Amino acid sequence: MKAILAAALLLGVAQAQIRFEEIARKAGLNFQLHNAAAGEFHQIELMPGGVAALDFDNDGCMDLYFTNGASIPSLRKTGPEFYNRLYRNRCDGTFEDVTEKAGVGGEGYSMAVAAADFDNDGRVDIFVGGVNRNILYRNLGGGRFADVTAKAGLAGIDPQHGKMWSISAGWFDFDNDGWLDLFVSNYVAWDPGAEPRCGNADARFYCHPSAYQGVPNQLFRNNHDGTFTDVSRQSGVAAHIGKGMGVAFADFDGDGFEDVFVANDSVRSFLFRNRGNGTFQEVGVEAGVALREDGKPIAGMGVDFRDFDNDGRPDLVVSGMVNDGFLLFRNLGKRGLFEDFAQRSGLLLPTRPLTGWSLGFFDFDNDGWRDLFCAVSHFPSFETYLGKAAAQPNRIFRNVAGERFEDVSPAAGPGFQLAALHHGAAFADFDNDGRVDVVVTTLDGPVKLFRNVTAAANHWLAVRLHGTRSNRQGLGAVVEVILADGRHLTGHATTSVGYASSSEPLVRFGLGASRAVERIVVHWPGGRSQELTNVQADRVVEIEERT
Amino acid sequence: MILAIALVFGLFAAAQTSPGHDAYNRADRMFREHRYQDAMDGVDEALRLEPNLVPALTLRAKLAMAANRYDVAKQSLERAIAADPKSWYARFLYGFQFYQQNEMPAAISALEKARELNPRDPQAALYLGLAYEAVGRTDDALGLYRRAIELEDAAGTVHVETLLTAARLYLLLGRIDDAAASAERAAKTDPASRDPHFELARIWLKRATPAKAITEGEAALRLQHGDTPDRQIHFLLVQAYRAAGEDAQAQQHAEALRKLDGLNRPK
Repeated sequence: MKAILAAALLLGVAQAQIRFEEIARKAGLNFQLHNAAAGEFHQIELMPGGVAALDFDNDGCMDLYFTNGASIPSLRKTGPEFYNRLYRNRCDGTFEDVTEKAGVGGEGYSMAVAAADFDNDGRVDIFVGGVNRNILYRNLGGGRFADVTAKAGLAGIDPQHGKMWSISAGWFDFDNDGWLDLFVSNYVAWDPGAEPRCGNADARFYCHPSAYQGVPNQLFRNNHDGTFTDVSRQSGVAAHIGKGMGVAFADFDGDGFEDVFVANDSVRSFLFRNRGNGTFQEVGVEAGVALREDGKPIAGMGVDFRDFDNDGRPDLVVSGMVNDGFLLFRNLGKRGLFEDFAQRSGLLLPTRPLTGWSLGFFDFDNDGWRDLFCAVSHFPSFETYLGKAAAQPNRIFRNVAGERFEDVSPAAGPGFQLAALHHGAAFADFDNDGRVDVVVTTLDGPVKLFRNVTAAANHWLAVRLHGTRSNRQGLGAVVEVILADGRHLTGHATTSVGYASSSEPLVRFGLGASRAVERIVVHWPGGRSQELTNVQADRVVEIEERT
Repeated sequence: MILAIALVFGLFAAAQTSPGHDAYNRADRMFREHRYQDAMDGVDEALRLEPNLVPALTLRAKLAMAANRYDVAKQSLERAIAADPKSWYARFLYGFQFYQQNEMPAAISALEKARELNPRDPQAALYLGLAYEAVGRTDDALGLYRRAIELEDAAGTVHVETLLTAARLYLLLGRIDDAAASAERAAKTDPASRDPHFELARIWLKRATPAKAITEGEAALRLQHGDTPDRQIHFLLVQAYRAAGEDAQAQQHAEALRKLDGLNRPK
């Protein structure tokens, strides 16, 4: 600890308490998530809440898209209360609901959202995954979208399993052909007419996932013409039956191809190693990330695949249910191995009493170390068993020099302490002040927007990539920042963060006391690199891929 | 295993005689002989003769729990407690059934009462500790695990499961040497159990000594007796062999794990 403090003093890093102000109502975000729970204990009611941070109108301010439920058992959006909602950021701290004009209210019982520019036209598109319906919205510009699901071939109807219940989805370029492909994480086989009953007449509750059959995930290859081919089987992805929740991408073995981690609920999780030839090998067991250290599965929920210890290699964090403890795996950078770091980092004990949903590694205090935010709530109807309310406050864990995590939630502001059934979360700098904010959905409740109001003593840098040979947003690109004091910070562009949600594509760095960076090196998907030197801090740097 | 301990070590022999007691004694004997249906019939007879006979009510509760009828167990125990509020064993079973049902606040309340009534019962200490641990009261839990071990020692019957419960919590708290001491003692207590070897393998892996983790893990896999499933041991051995650089052996255990894991087989 003394060494860490000394290092902080030496580097001039300001140790500001991470603080948030909850401003959703003030910002005009009046979205309410409706799960249509009516005492029938349908499993789908527990799971909604995906949210995306995306800049659909390219005005430099991150907008928001919320998924929503539907009537049960019809699974239809029978009224506007069930519409998915798009909110435009007016760039003045407020948002306006533009759902109707944009034509993105949706249909079906929605869960997941994944935002990215799949057709390389410079406009961000939206994929919505759900229980009975997936939708691909192509951004037409002018604030309008078109439902191109059928033409694109992304309805998600599997020849063997039919339409599976999709919980999360993410865009990545698995074959480095410059076009984004789509991975869809599917949960369990579920039928409203055949919902198992759990508990007894006096005390019914939601069934454990073991009451449902697992299903495979799906991978769709982009054909470069607005259509996709289902390559789930030929890629090897569909050979693994799980109970998929969050999905995240990173090139964990440094071979230039992005790999996939899927957090599974109550069965072992999957790490799909991208062989670079269109196929994947599931190596979660061999890598040591499939199960908890004692060999038991957890109720995996949200996942982030990002470097927390500044060694340049993406690590893994997975949220779980009460008494699981969150998983934290440190990428050892040799032979595809990870080490369980949850206990040593101090994350295990404080997360054991939590049920975590969406989460993300972001440097909220810009001190150069990515902190951990987690949306927290227990399952409704389990209060009796836990002796705790299902509604819980979220948690923020400060990263102390990549060695341990410290729960700094109690001092994160009065709005942060308010309990709710927090589920989805998306991360972005909504007010462009260089501090990462968080939007969080709540089950059957209003959205929360946590504006980061941490004392802005530290410097920062954000990189917005523009691929030319690579996909337009540069998703999958690895960005290295080299500081004058010799420190290397690494991040990669991805929107697939947390649970059912989608975050901004920018690659962000907290710089501590550094007012400039010596070099920025971008490693584009496919292996090409380019450098910028002597870049001033506290701004968004636009980097276009050199052809 | 834990259930078995609870069921086996809490039994009473009724000292008094009466038609109800005689029927209960017969039922209890049948329970010990694993003749559960006969035991249930015997208990019903005892309770017909003496509706508030506490030993019969607690035996009925144990039989109900064995049949996964926690509603019946709870009802029987509530009757037993009403009949004799000082019966620590009825209180213990009442807390135990809440624990088994994951109703931790109710389990804690009942087990605390059982501990008040009989502070020398190791099972009440152990299960109260487990309930505390489940709600995040790790320090309290650890204190009770230690107490349960002391009480078992005093009674001359220390149980592997009690030692390993303490070892697991020590490991969680990063107290590796304490975890090792408990696990080693458990291994000596029951050399035929795979469970202590599994915990010792985890400990050696945490100590970055994969060769010893492999030795303990392979020992665990060879032993049949214990609660640790093969799947967990295989996963541990994958990590140990990988850490030792023996990837071929690691792969064998990974394949064995996947074979056991029916869920992830292609359909």
